[in-house]
Amino acid sequence: LGDLFDRAVRLSHYIHSLSSEMFNEFDERYAQGRGFIAKAINSCHTSSLTTPEDKEQAQQIHHEDLLNVVLSVLRSWNDPLLHLVSEVQRIKEAPDTILWKAMEIEEQNKRLLEGMEKIVGRVHPGDLGNEVYSTWSGLPSLQLADEDSRLFAFYNLLHCFRRDSHKIDNYLKLLKCRLIHDSNC
Amino acid sequence: QPPGKPEMIRCRSPEKETFTCWWKPGSDGGLPTNYTLLYTKEREESYHECPDYVTGGPNSCYFDQKHTSVWTIYNMTVKATNALGSNISTPYYVDVAYIVEPNPPVNLTLEWVGQAYASYLLLKWVPPPRADVRSGWLTLEYELRIRPKEEPEWDNIFVGLGTKYQLFRLNPGIKYVAQVRCRSDRGEWSQWSSESHFQVPKEF
Ligand code: NA
Ligand code: NA
Ligand code: NA
Repeated sequence: LGDLFDRAVRLSHYIHSLSSEMFNEFDERYAQGRGFIAKAINSCHTSSLTTPEDKEQAQQIHHEDLLNVVLSVLRSWNDPLLHLVSEVQRIKEAPDTILWKAMEIEEQNKRLLEGMEKIVGRVHPGDLGNEVYSTWSGLPSLQLADEDSRLFAFYNLLHCFRRDSHKIDNYLKLLKCRLIHDSNC
Repeated sequence: QPPGKPEMIRCRSPEKETFTCWWKPGSDGGLPTNYTLLYTKEREESYHECPDYVTGGPNSCYFDQKHTSVWTIYNMTVKATNALGSNISTPYYVDVAYIVEPNPPVNLTLEWVGQAYASYLLLKWVPPPRADVRSGWLTLEYELRIRPKEEPEWDNIFVGLGTKYQLFRLNPGIKYVAQVRCRSDRGEWSQWSSESHFQVPKEF
């Protein structure tokens, strides 16, 4: 189990690094002075999932429930990441680095989900996590004709993924310390 | 005249559990001026007033653990009021996830390890006291810098996750100065730690 967690944490750390870089690149290039952050409040498709928002909440939640939170958030991103890869190619003058990162993130997120299913199978066999996830209905907004609206839809998706990939990475690091190192990392 | 427009400058969280925000007052119009910080959080409708104007010093608001959520956008404004009127800052948006700047690491020690096949300097340090790395809530990466005492140029070494580093190829008889800093989740680097000194043996 220690090896599985090491691999999962390496992947989640990598995915969060890529998503931060991708968000920052997009923000600098397309979002300056457009006031997107104010519009991004309460706009993530995963916000219906209840997730710990501070250390106390994260420490009080049972580890099996926290593992299920990670699975639900990961599953909720399968679909939007797939569409992100195809739609990002249509952004005017999108730099190759953003495109490459979108593809890499989509690929690695699937690998992390597989790894997490293995971990959950080992921690509580029989219960392969509830199949709970949040559905995403944002594809039409990524294809809007109005450039400002379309760029905001991309900004919002990248903002939400940066946040969720950071949560996943943080929760996995907590779980690893709790389950493998007896809370003494 | 009424006060000038105040401006939110920055927010910082040393450990992803609490945070402080600072503002710059506008002109005070020569009159006693009172400042009020109001904020609302993502997923909440209501506005709240700053819970603590004291702990963070002048022109600041401190949010303790009870008032701190991560992965949540805070929308803040500061209102300046004097006897002749008031003025309000442009809204400022912040998520604690992106303002983590830890305190510097502590207890940097430099120890010479002389061995037959290779001698080296062993640098060790301890994470900042308030950062909870044991539970995994924070994961810190470190960077070292070292220079001969008589030279101005630092040599920077990115360490990654460990809290020690073996340094080979130092010059005999030279005094060195070293410092270490840390960051969490690609956030801001901390200040550099206080300096530690070491003299490499003349022969080894
Ligand atoms: Na984040
Ligand atoms: Na809190
Ligand atoms: Na600093």
